[in-house]
Amino acid sequence: MSSSIGAECTELKQKYDTCFNKWYSEKFLKGDTTPECEDLFKDYKACVMTQVGRKKLPRTQSIKPNTRSSISQVALKEKQIDTLLADARKEAPFPPPSQSSSNSSS
Amino acid sequence: MVKFFQHTFAYDHPWENVTYAFWLRYPNPFASHVVCADVIDRSINDDGMLKTTRLVLKKGKLPKWFPDQFVKSSEAYVIEESLVDPKNMKMVTRTRNLNHVRVMQVEETQTFTPHPVNPEMTSVRTEARIISKFGWGLASRIELFGESNFANNAAKARQGMKHILQMIREKHLIRERMSFMQAQTA
Repeated sequence: MSSSIGAECTELKQKYDTCFNKWYSEKFLKGDTTPECEDLFKDYKACVMTQVGRKKLPRTQSIKPNTRSSISQVALKEKQIDTLLADARKEAPFPPPSQSSSNSSS
Repeated sequence: MVKFFQHTFAYDHPWENVTYAFWLRYPNPFASHVVCADVIDRSINDDGMLKTTRLVLKKGKLPKWFPDQFVKSSEAYVIEESLVDPKNMKMVTRTRNLNHVRVMQVEETQTFTPHPVNPEMTSVRTEARIISKFGWGLASRIELFGESNFANNAAKARQGMKHILQMIREKHLIRERMSFMQAQTA
């Protein structure tokens, strides 16, 4: 199993992953879509989000560092991963299914 | 300019195992660049589909000609969103990088469905879009680099999936043999 973004979350992650993997292969794929492992996920996610909120990234510079104009732009602005993540998630990754496919009865 | 990449491939494993391998694929010997992977969100929608968001951190490598003062860290955060529809046996995943987007944005969509002819196999369709908004006349060079890199990385990712799929197959065989032996001795 892969490790977590925060070393302290790895154990929680592995507990959750073990539960999820069992559920996914033995229940979900066989048609039982009742969720399980939710308490384990809550603890694990809380740990990850705390870690993610702490990670800062230097933004990619678009201006040559030694040009003297617009110092504010030259300065490395830090952006937190949670902000990037929140921005990215505003976009819906999968469009809703079209009318034709949702009409199962006829 | 934008570069588009398209690829279709089939795994010699059933759809269930391929989607399972998707969750298990890190770590594997072909993904040493993956630092960590976390589930950020997971839910089942009204149609009984599993929706997941993962955050993956990857170590990248920059080409030698790239002016490296622009990128302070070659680590890339990648968001991976996926939807598994067990009823219709379809899994769609979309992956894109969260940082370094001005240098290069890579967006990959993969669709996993049972093979139309052999249901013991799984078809995977990969579509990717590579865009660079970098200045200095480097955008097209970056996109070209991204394109060839993408093809190499996609091949490596398939190796990783096959490795995990083989492990799933072996585990399954062992389990079958065990239950056969238990039945024999019972």
